[in-house]
Amino acid sequence: MFLTRSEYDRGVNTFSPEGRLFQVEYAIEAIKLGSTALGIRTDQGVVLAVEKRVTSCLMEPSSLEKITQLDGHVACAFSGLTADARMLVDKARIESQNHWFAYNEPMKVESITQAISNLALKFSEDNEDDDEMSMSRPFGVALLVAGVDKDGARLYHLDPSGTYIHFDAKAIGSGSEGAQTSLQEIYKGDLSMDQITVHALQILKQVMEDKLNSVNVEVVQVQLDGVCKRLTQEQLQTYIEEISK
Amino acid sequence: MDFGTGAALPVSKPPLARQFNPYTSNGGTILALSGEDFSLVASDTRLSERFRIHTRDQPKTYKLTDNVVLGCCGFHGDVLTLNKLLAARIKMYKHQHDHEISCSSLAQMLSTILYSRRFFPFYTYNILIGLDEQGKGCVYSFDPVGSYERETYRAGGTGASMLQPLLDNQIGFKHQNIPEQDRPELTADRAIALVRDVFIGAAERDINTGDGLHMQLVTKDGIKTLDRFPLRKD
Repeated sequence: MFLTRSEYDRGVNTFSPEGRLFQVEYAIEAIKLGSTALGIRTDQGVVLAVEKRVTSCLMEPSSLEKITQLDGHVACAFSGLTADARMLVDKARIESQNHWFAYNEPMKVESITQAISNLALKFSEDNEDDDEMSMSRPFGVALLVAGVDKDGARLYHLDPSGTYIHFDAKAIGSGSEGAQTSLQEIYKGDLSMDQITVHALQILKQVMEDKLNSVNVEVVQVQLDGVCKRLTQEQLQTYIEEISK
Repeated sequence: MDFGTGAALPVSKPPLARQFNPYTSNGGTILALSGEDFSLVASDTRLSERFRIHTRDQPKTYKLTDNVVLGCCGFHGDVLTLNKLLAARIKMYKHQHDHEISCSSLAQMLSTILYSRRFFPFYTYNILIGLDEQGKGCVYSFDPVGSYERETYRAGGTGASMLQPLLDNQIGFKHQNIPEQDRPELTADRAIALVRDVFIGAAERDINTGDGLHMQLVTKDGIKTLDRFPLRKD
């Protein structure tokens, strides 16, 4: 490893002779340590589901929040370093409110994602004279941005390199490889909101190490009318009973 | 030492103040109205300053997008700068969000631009017309610092006080005892005829309004510029 990387992975803004930015690639690797998160999009809306790693029975699971709202019509799930995600979420919230202020309309999901991605590569080792707060390393977090705008239901995946891609279904985090394969098998464009929620939980159940229950998952549905709904424990319980039949 | 003469000490005069007035009025009248499936904006074509005419051929309507037109008059320098700024912002919006800005968003944007100059305002009267999301005609009127509202008709500029009462009567049916359901719907043809009549009236009495009448009609087919209608040239 040391020989192949040949010390070009020290500086965050130094290309290797093969033209790679190792620190950015390592950041992408960091996401694979995070908890699994997945999103499924159909014409009926988007669903986001994440696993919560409840590492101790003394931990309060409801304080772990890995799906959060960016604007009225947009929610976002993340995997990786939660504190890094907070910075991106703050940026997205500010940008979407600025857009509403200036144009009196909700910001498009793609535009919000673009605004976040502008932050992703704003890191550098030597920016002490920069009064703008900036990162000395890439963000170690990947986002699934789900929302509804004039183009319908949208789901974007954003990684630490700032690349964002529109997906029908995408999984990130430690179980992402298995989950992504399962998503490809089940995905159809005409699924209902109920069906994609069931699929999301089923796939999460397959890839999670702990046994899935109503406490260690978090699910948010973004409906076609732009309303983001976080499922309650009771609602989750109903879905979980359905998939364990 | 001599303390005795009692000569008056020199009294300091207040400093001589020189003032530069950054504004001037270049006159002009604008008018906008909307119907079920169209909106119309009109302006005279005279550009003047006090008793002088700069040109008889300066329409005061500005095409902003494929279905939004701005009527803009007041101080011509500010009119030009504001329109340059709007054109740039519209292009930036299109590049950033990958679609053309809507009329309602443009109205909000214009409001924030005007308010950003709250303490050194653009001396411009603005009326924005276009079609809303449902394809209905819409008119947004503004004051110079960004207060705005959606209306069905509005006049602006030096002749506004002469046009507005006529429109209130003829389009708003003010002081007419016609029940709401019996009021005829405004058609584009009647709107155009009415605009000509009220501008003839304004050109008669307002020295800064005249020479020609320029009209732009917005429908689902786009923007159509109507033939120039002559007004008084004196």
